[in-house]
Amino acid sequence: MNAKSIRRWNLVGGALTGLTLIVAIFWAFPIYWAVVTTFKFEQDVVKAGVDWLPIRWTVEAYINALFNTKLGLWYLNSLATSLMITLLVLLTSAAAGYAISQLNFPGRRVLWWLILASFMVPIPALIINHFVLMSQMGLLNTLTAVVLPQLIAPVTVMIYKQFFDSVPKDFREAALMDGASQWQLLFRLYLPMNWGITTALAIITFIGAWNNFLWPFLAVTTEDKMNVTVGITQVTDAFGVKYARQLSSAVLAGLPVAVVYLLFQRRVTQAIMLTAGIKG
Amino acid sequence: MAQVELSNISKRFGAVEVISGLNLSIEDGAFCALLGPSGCGKSTMLRMIAGLEEVTDGTIRIGTEDVTHAAPKSRGTAMVFQSYALYPHLTVAENITFSMSLAGAPKAKQREAAERVAKMLQLTHLLDRRPAALSGGQRQRVAIGRALVRDPKVFLFDEPLSNLDALLRVQMRLELAKLHGDLKTTMIYVTHDQVEAMTLADLIVVLDKGKIAQAGSPWELYNRPANRFVAGFIGSPAMNFLKGQGDGQGVVLPDGTRLAVAQHMAKGAPVELGIRPEHVKVATEGPIRGRASVVEYLGNTSYAYVETDHGPMVVEADDQPVKAGDQLALVPDLAKAHVFDATGQAL
Repeated sequence: MNAKSIRRWNLVGGALTGLTLIVAIFWAFPIYWAVVTTFKFEQDVVKAGVDWLPIRWTVEAYINALFNTKLGLWYLNSLATSLMITLLVLLTSAAAGYAISQLNFPGRRVLWWLILASFMVPIPALIINHFVLMSQMGLLNTLTAVVLPQLIAPVTVMIYKQFFDSVPKDFREAALMDGASQWQLLFRLYLPMNWGITTALAIITFIGAWNNFLWPFLAVTTEDKMNVTVGITQVTDAFGVKYARQLSSAVLAGLPVAVVYLLFQRRVTQAIMLTAGIKG
Repeated sequence: MAQVELSNISKRFGAVEVISGLNLSIEDGAFCALLGPSGCGKSTMLRMIAGLEEVTDGTIRIGTEDVTHAAPKSRGTAMVFQSYALYPHLTVAENITFSMSLAGAPKAKQREAAERVAKMLQLTHLLDRRPAALSGGQRQRVAIGRALVRDPKVFLFDEPLSNLDALLRVQMRLELAKLHGDLKTTMIYVTHDQVEAMTLADLIVVLDKGKIAQAGSPWELYNRPANRFVAGFIGSPAMNFLKGQGDGQGVVLPDGTRLAVAQHMAKGAPVELGIRPEHVKVATEGPIRGRASVVEYLGNTSYAYVETDHGPMVVEADDQPVKAGDQLALVPDLAKAHVFDATGQAL
């Protein structure tokens, strides 16, 4: 490669980097603007002109969100429901994936096709059915109602099945010779062989459950049972819109997920790639 | 320790019958090798004894118990797999005592068992390592250790040395022979390598298309093959076969050459004369003539591949130097020749 072509490659590379940077700025700007706004006084937020940084810094919006709302309770509700959803989704998906992958039972193929078919149905299309069902079971306005419909996770079943399919059968047979039961095979052999998959799926399921808005919004109307995503819609004021307050609640609501993402970046990327592989 | 008895065993996969009406008795404490080419059903047979494959027909007895439909764990067998099948997330010690751990044995007892087995197999310094950090030979020993710790009535080996290099294979072969000598437990060993079978086993069962072609001691199989398949399968290089016609106590080759043998045949009956490479001498005069196409020098001996009028033959040429292209006269030691009839049965 001569000097001229190297220069041309550098130019192309530079242009691509510049383009990526512009896209990143477009993507990050709303987050930046929201965070900056939360540190402004309400009067400064609505005044004419653009202030890239607050003229006067304040944490009043955060104090208000933390102490004058039920944010703490909503956090706890979110944490409880998200953890419960994560735990149950992983347990049921691993068991279902294992059964479909490793066990021979009548209707196995039909069950697998049903799971594949359920994957084609968008969740919002089922939401009225879920609502009627929860209502008839008398579970509306309970955390159970928030949790139950979110346990349907065909993608997680499919990822587990794919993984279990790829485990060489010698491991299974060696463990059977060693006297393992089916539960022991699942929990002592298949899952521990690659905790990475379970960790990745746990993180992405947790983030999905934490961020979910539509179903918890429909299932719960009493403030005490609300999740943080639904609860922040209650941060309104009788005297008009308070941008700093509302945005500070939104920032606080999104903060745990951001922290989880920052701490487990590699695992989250792995999980996204796993689900993308299924969806692709 | 226990005797293994297979009665009328058949195995079908759909319409394909891989084993049909097989009967075999393996004595208590014997080292039995199941030998045969790929697809002959030897691994299927081992898996049926292990309980990993259902038997279509027939019964399997281990000791006095009928285990035909028993679960693998209840048969008193332990198996060493070709791939070793070591659990990658567990240490060597945990791998060895996995069966004890599943049964809920106390940790101290597990550690004690792991140390005892590790001492037998020289694995003590590796107990806390994971399988990924072990060499092929070490992994194989861990796999054997995992079987040993269960104190089984019968050990099952499914081509356990085939993933090792030649040198390590010889070493592990000796270790297995020593282990069998020490434990005196019944061992059933599947292999397609006749050297392993000949050196380790006191009973070799040669399988062909799901049937026993011959079962016997290594000496019997080599010197008294029951049929053409066994004669051709056992021995390396393989036995030479010359087509001809029976003539009392002689075989007449297509060119009219008559070779006198000990066996008696009907006149004109189609037969094949089998003679091993080491039982053919290269001489200046002889009943079979041909041209050496390739000569393999192995150090202790040489093998000459000779194109004769009766087809290709392999002969051991350690008495006199032979070069490719030489015209040779071959003299078979007919006292050691075998004769097979048209159905392939030895006469």
